[in-house]
Amino acid sequence: MNETNIMKSLRKEILRISSIGHDGNLQSCFSSVEILWSLYNGGMNYNAANRKNPKHDRFVLSKGQSNLALMTVLANCGYIKKKELNTFCKPDSRISMQADRTKFDDLIECSAGSLGHGLPIAVGMAMAAKIKGSGEHIYVLAGDGEMNEGTMWEAMILACSENLDNLTLIIDDNSSISNMIKNGLNLPQKIESFGFAVENVNGHDIEEIKNALHKRNDKPTAIIAKTVRGYGCKTLMEDNSWFHRSPTEDELPQLYKEVDEF
Amino acid sequence: MRKAMQEKLSELIVSNPMTSLFLIDIGVWAFRDLLRDYPDRVKNIGIFEPGTISVAAGLSMSGITPTVYGISPFIVQRSLEQLKLDFIYQKTGGNFITTGASYDFSTLGYSHYCPEDIMTLKTLPGFEILTPATPDQFTSLFKFCAENGRPSYFRMTDHCNKTEVDVEFGKAKLIKRGCKGTVAVWAEMLDTVIKACSDIDVNILYYTTAAPFDYAAINETVKNNKLILCHPFYEGTFSDDIQKAFERSVEICEIGVPREVLRSYGTKSDKDVSLGFTIDAVREKIQNFVNAK
Repeated sequence: MNETNIMKSLRKEILRISSIGHDGNLQSCFSSVEILWSLYNGGMNYNAANRKNPKHDRFVLSKGQSNLALMTVLANCGYIKKKELNTFCKPDSRISMQADRTKFDDLIECSAGSLGHGLPIAVGMAMAAKIKGSGEHIYVLAGDGEMNEGTMWEAMILACSENLDNLTLIIDDNSSISNMIKNGLNLPQKIESFGFAVENVNGHDIEEIKNALHKRNDKPTAIIAKTVRGYGCKTLMEDNSWFHRSPTEDELPQLYKEVDEF
Repeated sequence: MRKAMQEKLSELIVSNPMTSLFLIDIGVWAFRDLLRDYPDRVKNIGIFEPGTISVAAGLSMSGITPTVYGISPFIVQRSLEQLKLDFIYQKTGGNFITTGASYDFSTLGYSHYCPEDIMTLKTLPGFEILTPATPDQFTSLFKFCAENGRPSYFRMTDHCNKTEVDVEFGKAKLIKRGCKGTVAVWAEMLDTVIKACSDIDVNILYYTTAAPFDYAAINETVKNNKLILCHPFYEGTFSDDIQKAFERSVEICEIGVPREVLRSYGTKSDKDVSLGFTIDAVREKIQNFVNAK
């Protein structure tokens, strides 16, 4: 299966699982599919069978609302069983709207939910890697709306002060901020002014994403991945009610069709 | 107590390369040697407590035991969500040592008072809460908790007791036996309570671990169902613990800090007077309570 078809397959699986669990942040999930898939398919040095390898890269999902996309990618990679996705949001499931790392024996590095936590935690992980001399590179995926949180900027001050060249912040810039306040504009300039090396990419172009993930600078790196909310499905792109809702069984065929025809 | 803390924390950093220390811009002079000798692990982070707590969690989730040293309200209240989600939810450990107990910073105003720290942290399941009131007690509790993989809060006071008591993590200690009631006492209130009760026939039960709470000790000690709680924290801090400790009805008198905005300045002693924490005031309250029919 080529990458285009893999992305379509992932998106249809996300729709199906969301429908089973009766919940979902589908616009956010769809905007980050290519980023998450790229990370676990050559973007970072990762092998789930050898996670304790000290040179292993680590990934922190800071924008927790993309958890269903992450789980679907992990299932696609064989790191969790595909049939486990069918337990999405069930009482005793490991898989729900936000990740709980205590249920995953290191496969998930960080529990998520409240925004503004993942980046500072990743900064701590990057500092720990320096202390241990482990060679790990820490990747963290945040949303552009999440960049309104003060702790993200606190963490960036420290990351640059500590010269954490083993840290890559990826921002899924799906224009959430444009629904909020004007101050969020010019993210690349602001982040660069804090001392990050900034890479701007098309967040739906796997080759561009991977190239940026592989780049190493002598300071922390931020990848601003320009994305579209609900990307890959016309209805989800046009109707913002899909920020937080799930499809009914009756809606699924039409949404699948839109994904296939995109 | 600050000196004991400095010694024990320094020993920890020197002896264990998998530990780190973040200063929230306090103690910089006291820890100057560590800052110089271990620059990768000991840092004056500056003043952004919530971010610092999360960063400390990242270290902990990578196998490095972090210790954060700051001022009570800015660690406990400004950073409460970080303590909850980045330590309790992530199920990882670290040490949080604070100065500015209750109203120790008596001239700095409400922003720097924190009689609510224990009550606030008690909402976080699994958070260890220690209230040592002598340097030796700090040492004992720190030795036990510092590397145990759980989040531990050490409330340091600038007004230590003169009474020395050997303490043990998680255990209350019976200081005096009596018949008319039981005084459960915390932190720097112990000396006052011992003097106030010198001629009152009561048990004195001393706690230095606020969580996990020693239910058995209080249950076994309270014989005649008269219980006095005496502590420098907001009133009601131990309501839930007391309710859980007893299946029978117990008559309770509480001597604590009223849940009010404290707007006064002056010395700590000035506040003790205004809050009724003097030896005479405490004696009168306890006497009236145990003698009431």
